[in-house]
Amino acid sequence: MVIESSGFQRRWENRRARARTAGDEAKESYYGLPVIHKPHWDWWIIVYFFVGGICGAANAIATLARWHGGKEGESISRVARYLSFGMVIPSTICLILDLGRPERFLNMLRVVKLRSPMSMGTWILLSSSFFLSLLTVDQARRDGLLGQDNPLVRMLRWMPVRLIDALGVVPSLMLAGYTGVLLAATAVPLWTRNHLVMGPLFLASAFSNAAAAITLILGLRGRSVEGARHRIERLDLLAMFAEVALLVVFKRGLTRTVADPLETGQTGKLHRYGVLGAGIGLPLLLHGKSIIGRSSSGRGVSIIASALVLIGGLAFRYVMVMAGHRSADDPNATFEMTRKRD
Amino acid sequence: MMSEPRTGAREGAMGFLTDTTLCIGCKACEVACKQWNQLPADNFGYTGNSYDNTGDLAAETWRHVSFVEQLADDSGARPTSLNAFQSNWLMMSDVCKHCVNAGCLEACPTGAIVRTEFDTVIIQQDICNGCGYCVPACPFGVPALSPIDHKAHKCTLCYDRLRGGMEPACAKACPTDSIQFGLVEDLMERASDRVENLRGRGVDGAYIYGDRETGGTHGIDGLNAFFILTAPSETYNLPAEPELPQDKTFPSYASTILAAAAFAIGAALSLRGK
Amino acid sequence: MPQQSLADSDCIVIMGSNMAENHPVGFRFVMKAKERGATIIHIDPRFSRTSAMADLHVPIRAGSDLAFLGGLINYALSSDRWESVPFFREFVQSYTNGPTIIGDTFKDTEDLAGMFSGYDPESGAYESSTWAYDEGHLDPEMTDPRCAFQIIKRHFSRYTPEMVEQVCGVPQELFEQVAEAILTSSGPDRTTAFCYAVAWTQHTTGTQIISCCALLQLLLGNMGRPGGGILALRGHATIQGSTDIPTLYHLLPGYISMPMVDAGHLDLQSFMDAIQQPKGWWHNAPKYIVSFLKAWYGDAATGENDYCFDYVPKISGDYSFAAMMPMMKDGTIKGLFCMGMNPAVGGQNSKLIREGLANLDWMVMRDPYEIETAAFWHDSPEVRSGEVRPEDIKTEIFFLPPAVTPEKDGSYTNTQRLVQWHEKAVDPPEDCRSEPWFMYHLGRRLKALYADEETPQARQLQVLTWDYDTEGIYDDPRLEQVIEEINGYTVRDRKLVSGFAELKDDGSTACGCWIYSGIMPEPGLNLARNRKGDDAASLEWGFAWPANRRVLYNRASADPSGKPWSERKRWIWWDEEQERWTGYDVPDFPATKRPDYRPGPDAVGIDAHRGDAPFIMMPDGHGLLFAPAGLVDGPIPTHYEPWESPVTNLLYPEQVRSPVVPTFDRPDNQYHEIGDPRFPYVLTTYRLTEHHTAGGMSRFVPWLAELQPGGFAEISPELAGEFGIDNGDWVTLTTLRGEIETRALVTERLQPLTIHGRPVHQIGMPWHYGWGGMATGDIANDLSALIEDPNSRIHQAKAFTCDLSRGRLPRTNGASGDDE
Repeated sequence: MVIESSGFQRRWENRRARARTAGDEAKESYYGLPVIHKPHWDWWIIVYFFVGGICGAANAIATLARWHGGKEGESISRVARYLSFGMVIPSTICLILDLGRPERFLNMLRVVKLRSPMSMGTWILLSSSFFLSLLTVDQARRDGLLGQDNPLVRMLRWMPVRLIDALGVVPSLMLAGYTGVLLAATAVPLWTRNHLVMGPLFLASAFSNAAAAITLILGLRGRSVEGARHRIERLDLLAMFAEVALLVVFKRGLTRTVADPLETGQTGKLHRYGVLGAGIGLPLLLHGKSIIGRSSSGRGVSIIASALVLIGGLAFRYVMVMAGHRSADDPNATFEMTRKRD
Repeated sequence: MMSEPRTGAREGAMGFLTDTTLCIGCKACEVACKQWNQLPADNFGYTGNSYDNTGDLAAETWRHVSFVEQLADDSGARPTSLNAFQSNWLMMSDVCKHCVNAGCLEACPTGAIVRTEFDTVIIQQDICNGCGYCVPACPFGVPALSPIDHKAHKCTLCYDRLRGGMEPACAKACPTDSIQFGLVEDLMERASDRVENLRGRGVDGAYIYGDRETGGTHGIDGLNAFFILTAPSETYNLPAEPELPQDKTFPSYASTILAAAAFAIGAALSLRGK
Repeated sequence: MPQQSLADSDCIVIMGSNMAENHPVGFRFVMKAKERGATIIHIDPRFSRTSAMADLHVPIRAGSDLAFLGGLINYALSSDRWESVPFFREFVQSYTNGPTIIGDTFKDTEDLAGMFSGYDPESGAYESSTWAYDEGHLDPEMTDPRCAFQIIKRHFSRYTPEMVEQVCGVPQELFEQVAEAILTSSGPDRTTAFCYAVAWTQHTTGTQIISCCALLQLLLGNMGRPGGGILALRGHATIQGSTDIPTLYHLLPGYISMPMVDAGHLDLQSFMDAIQQPKGWWHNAPKYIVSFLKAWYGDAATGENDYCFDYVPKISGDYSFAAMMPMMKDGTIKGLFCMGMNPAVGGQNSKLIREGLANLDWMVMRDPYEIETAAFWHDSPEVRSGEVRPEDIKTEIFFLPPAVTPEKDGSYTNTQRLVQWHEKAVDPPEDCRSEPWFMYHLGRRLKALYADEETPQARQLQVLTWDYDTEGIYDDPRLEQVIEEINGYTVRDRKLVSGFAELKDDGSTACGCWIYSGIMPEPGLNLARNRKGDDAASLEWGFAWPANRRVLYNRASADPSGKPWSERKRWIWWDEEQERWTGYDVPDFPATKRPDYRPGPDAVGIDAHRGDAPFIMMPDGHGLLFAPAGLVDGPIPTHYEPWESPVTNLLYPEQVRSPVVPTFDRPDNQYHEIGDPRFPYVLTTYRLTEHHTAGGMSRFVPWLAELQPGGFAEISPELAGEFGIDNGDWVTLTTLRGEIETRALVTERLQPLTIHGRPVHQIGMPWHYGWGGMATGDIANDLSALIEDPNSRIHQAKAFTCDLSRGRLPRTNGASGDDE
């Protein structure tokens, strides 16, 4: 059987310099061929990172808002909870479809491996989905969606919601952030170089995206939830500032070679204009007046800014995954990571 | 006095010693491997990369011989008197390293990748679900997803042959004993003697790749398939001091948990009613 | 010499061979020698995988090998070591014809400006009678200017290090480094071995290059000794076997010449007279010839009818491969059996060959894949370009599927005459059949077809013994019976003989191939099946003809008195107590002939040799420094330029090319003149580890095809720079025979050499590729020409000239089959 390999490509088309020998081509690196293999990940995993992050962060927000938020907190919590629950299904679908053999997804449940973020991620998604489902049912009950007085509702009243809420916030937070660890615990230079920042960075982005999504929903629901919108917007801004700070830390730790995919080419452009510009810079600019004036932005601005944050969040994940691929393909990036240290 | 062992190989571990100073680049290992393991041909592109038209280890390629031409000096002059043993046209048969602590194995979320009774690392094909996480988790670029069955594949160190008391196909086919199979302990001793011998003959650059000093560094703790090289490892596309990626898992969790706590507090504060 | 014996060498010179790539398994013994401290020298135009393992790589101009070897001879004979170590002189005096006085009709190239005496310009051939010995005259001191030793010393005196540098492009210091290494690794306790392959044979002077090496090894005492000698690495598996029991047009089994019309071999006696020698082993020739005729013709062969000698075909001209191809094109040859061969790719001037194939009436092809030779009529460069239309080709092709190696019993005879048996693992599928099946049943049916016809031709078939039993599901002939026939038996009771010593010339014995006699000394005991190796001669591994001897002429491993030359190089010696030769090997000498034996005046055959004459096949038992007969291009090796060369012959400016080369000068096979400015580059073709000859067994096999998936030409950066060629670019190569395109592999492994003060560029190109299979590329042999060595009739493909340009050929359909 003859097949075309996906990884290794013939490469004479790019030769330019004259009388360049085969020996010359192996001088800088082994013919420019990758040292390590990049993962096969593309849209399924990118979308999973995005919706999974929102799912986790939104549930955490729902819990925190409920604990601390009074009436406005309640409405944030309600939106956040439903949003989170709405993301569970696409997250799981993306995660399953990303597999080479989706029908074997359940094999993930054979083992628990603490040092494998992929294994832990599955359990995190599973456990957070479990708690989230219970909490969403409870939310539905309280919203009267399950009827007023029936055996189910009566039984649900007995549920230790506070305990479940407390327990559920842990996997939710991890769901929001573990994807960074998933990338960090690999040999890909871009991901592993500043591995300690990866989790927090993805977490910040997840919070920002979840907050933006909630803001967007609240904004679209109209003026009745204005107060709640302002509060969640505050969280979004906080998350965005944190994200910016973490990005600065992340990029400062990269060498030029490792950082290259974030600076050049398609991923570089998308990083600069999509993630930093449209996803963070522009929303901050739109919110600028309210930040300086310590007031709140208008509904229209809020909606546009939130939408931009969400686009930026997706772009961030796209860039991180694809720039990671480029980083994995660059032998010099790997060599820089693994050079002899005396 | 017993000196500290060069790797953390467990007792009874089996592995490869691939001695590049004996390699003539015949690629019999590549063919023997594909034949025994019934792996399909996967690439018909002429590369111009010296005589390496294989390029890389892949799901269907578990041995790969690399070729590096190092002949002309800056003035373009070619050598006539050569180093004892392979020189100026370097050839190396690359393979899965069967790490003492293996990144792929630790990364695998299904338990498909296991350590065998021979201390080798294999992917159980009836369990692998093709998540692909072992692929970037290997610091040497060994496992890969097959475009045919979408599962991860790599060298099994001929687990089936080992079970039958035979040596792996590549070692069997190697005409110059560049690929040697045996107990890691013995092979390491042989390799040390060989390196000493080579250095005695003026091959100053000879060294073992795959001990705690080089190749099997930072948590990997040695490679059960190791090499004798005569040039910097990067010449052969091997990282000098790779790390075990999973050593970063717990610290990264920790920083994430800290950040999560901070975010929880921050979120609670910012969500607090006025 | 056996390959294992290389492990005992102190210096191994690999020249005209890319041993690591093309004989990787045998190369393990080179590695073993190296492990023990031997010096490995690779002399080759290219830096190959063999060079990478050598201590010394000597880049040389393709086709100048003889000048280099001649230089070594001159260097050795002028050296202090040769004079000061008595061993060398003693070896030459005792074991070679160095002391023999040559008749005064002989004139050397020194006297005749590059020619020998006896040349007849009419016939373009030498009359070798002028080279004869002055019979009975010897000068043991080897000082007489007419003794062979002095003649060769004088002959090679112009092969100075300076000359080697000018002709071969090898700097003097480097040449001297090689010469010193060889010289210091030769002597009573040290031996040097030479390994060569088809890069020596495939020249118009191929036989003489090898002779020159033999001459050097005799002068250095490196013959018949462990770790010494010349290892002829054969082109591929069992090519040795197919010359022993030949598929060659000019030999009968066991190196007995084919009867020739021109030589008057019209009856058995005149034929035997021509083969039999009064002295030496060939005195036994009649026994082998008669036994062989008895094997072929059985009861029909009687003393009265010359043992059916009349039915043996007699040849009347050159029917070598190269000669056959134009005969096909010209319509002389009308049918062809093509088995295990791919001449549409592998033959020189392969376009002419394809045209020849297209002009046949019929062709029978047996091959596992539809290789180019089978497919030429519907797919070829000519068909793709529209030059030829399939409907115009009349050749009827019978394409038959063969059994492959694991599907049949059989044997391989390798490079060192070692016969190794292999057994069938599975029956071949469907219509696939083994070669023995095909040949046996073809013969059987032909016999049936002609059973009732009363013509001499039919009679020829009718008398042939063709009675093997059959076995297995396909009725394969029983190969055990074939081996029995090859081994030989007594006619009366069909008792197997134990060796060729038992063969008789009275018709009482039959033997298919005398040199293999002894391979099956008892029924069922096939010695080729033996598989017991050891660290010495491994006498119980397979069977090495003749008589299971591993090192030929091994009597020379002992000094004239029968003692080992040194402890370190013991191999065979005279045991005074047992009164016989003993040692690690089977003695290649009459086992009980004393070292001090001196023949009487009437002694014949081997008894006419002294007890210190190791070369039993030679008429006088001595190695030949000077060959008075047997070679058609001269008694002493002489450097002539390849037929196509960018430079003239500096050694013999008046005689640039060999005067006796058989040419095929015709419009479709034009040659380049020496120094033709249109074709300034030397082109040499070669093989890669990853492929097998013309690719029939590798380019169609995915696992092999992917390793070297496309054709290329190796070009030095210096030459590439002149054309602005970058690694991987397309280039076009041109000769008067054809033009092709291929990828450039720009590599420092090639380099221009300075020949006579100016740079000469060499281009290397693997000749494996064709348009079929999975690994494709243009055919290197579209460029080469039909031209031969006059002795062996082997083509010249290792050195010819070409032109180079950057870019691809303009083609209608991109005939290379390689996508952009």
